Amino acid sequence: MLVLWVVVAHLADDPRRVPGPGAVWAKLAGIVASGELWFHAGMTLFRVLASFALAMAVGVAAGLWMGRSRAADHWLNPALVIALNVPALVVIVLAYIWIGLNEVAAITAVALNKIPVVTVMLREGTRALRPDLDDMAAAFRMSPVARLRHVVLPQLAPHVAAAARAGISLIWKIVLVVEFLGRSNGVGFKIHLLFSNFDVAGVLAWALAFVAVMLAIDLCILRPWEARANRWRRDAD
Amino acid sequence: MRIDLQSKSFGARAVLGPVRLSVGRGQRVALLGPSGIGKSTLLRIIAGLDRAFEGRVEGGDRLAVVFQEPTLLPWRRALENITIPTGCDPEEARALMSKVGLEGRETQFPRQMSLGQQRRLALARAFAARPDILLMDEPFASLDPDTAARMIDLTGTLLDGSGAGLILVTHDEAEPARLGARALRLSGSPAVLQDR
Repeated sequence: MLVLWVVVAHLADDPRRVPGPGAVWAKLAGIVASGELWFHAGMTLFRVLASFALAMAVGVAAGLWMGRSRAADHWLNPALVIALNVPALVVIVLAYIWIGLNEVAAITAVALNKIPVVTVMLREGTRALRPDLDDMAAAFRMSPVARLRHVVLPQLAPHVAAAARAGISLIWKIVLVVEFLGRSNGVGFKIHLLFSNFDVAGVLAWALAFVAVMLAIDLCILRPWEARANRWRRDAD
Repeated sequence: MRIDLQSKSFGARAVLGPVRLSVGRGQRVALLGPSGIGKSTLLRIIAGLDRAFEGRVEGGDRLAVVFQEPTLLPWRRALENITIPTGCDPEEARALMSKVGLEGRETQFPRQMSLGQQRRLALARAFAARPDILLMDEPFASLDPDTAARMIDLTGTLLDGSGAGLILVTHDEAEPARLGARALRLSGSPAVLQDR
């Protein structure tokens, strides 16, 4: 990819529109040294994590409910289909208008974009729950909390992990749009400023920096958690 | 435990007709009959897993079920497979595991055990619930003859020790006698119980 980038930059021969890796690297070093990166990336990360947590909590609960209850699925499905198809931008604009240009609106808008996707994934997972284990839990009169923790959630773990992985990448993209449109800090806000100045190297530097942050989250948090949740699938430990 | 069943249907098809049965601690009953006659359905009604029937199930006895398949939690270790569903303390679970010959396997996951071991774990789990009556749904099917024979002896020993009653669903004519159980036969359509 790096080689391709160098070749394309060389062929384009227009450092303003297609800057080479060297120029982007210099910008990146600049924002790291000035400390700007940590503040804005920190703000973006905070929004990503807050809306991620909200979307996962609501989406998992709604998916479980719709997967378990025919009536809930029947009544909520039209709303779910609509929510899945409303453009992210419309949700963001309406949230800013109705709630105001503030953090609550930003996080709500991002979460609302993600909740329907998590709900659908978890609903399908819930429909595939093993009925024999439900019977076992009922026969031994396990409490609802114990059933959820030991019988239901472990079966849903792969679906939760898939929703989390797909979710966090979708969410950070939407967070940038939300910041672009109505926040005065964060990576999206910086990209907005650089876009106004036609600073492509700057845009790429910020984007790459944040991709690195998200990769680190995937490698250091999501993957180890998945490995732990899947321990029981191995033949011996 | 007393069941007074009027009828049980799946859609328009009546599976079970009038069935009356009462079993107390120390009493052992085996329900025999060909596949598909409704033995497992009757057991599910007694266990409270099927409530769509006409009739009554009475009695405040503690019931525990040994299913046709081991039905363990694959993501929990062997010991937790006893303590989590039954709420018994780990020491008691350990003692039961050693009674069924699974000493030293407490930290294994179910898929690391053979089918015979998984079934013994399911048996230990059922006894950990301290049942007044044990309900078993063809628990010795799909085991090789030696393993099945050992499981039957083990079940008998644990029943003797705990004093629990037994309702055993099986299609094997020899099993009731080996467990000292009164054999009842489900037959007809809709099926009713008959003393053999």
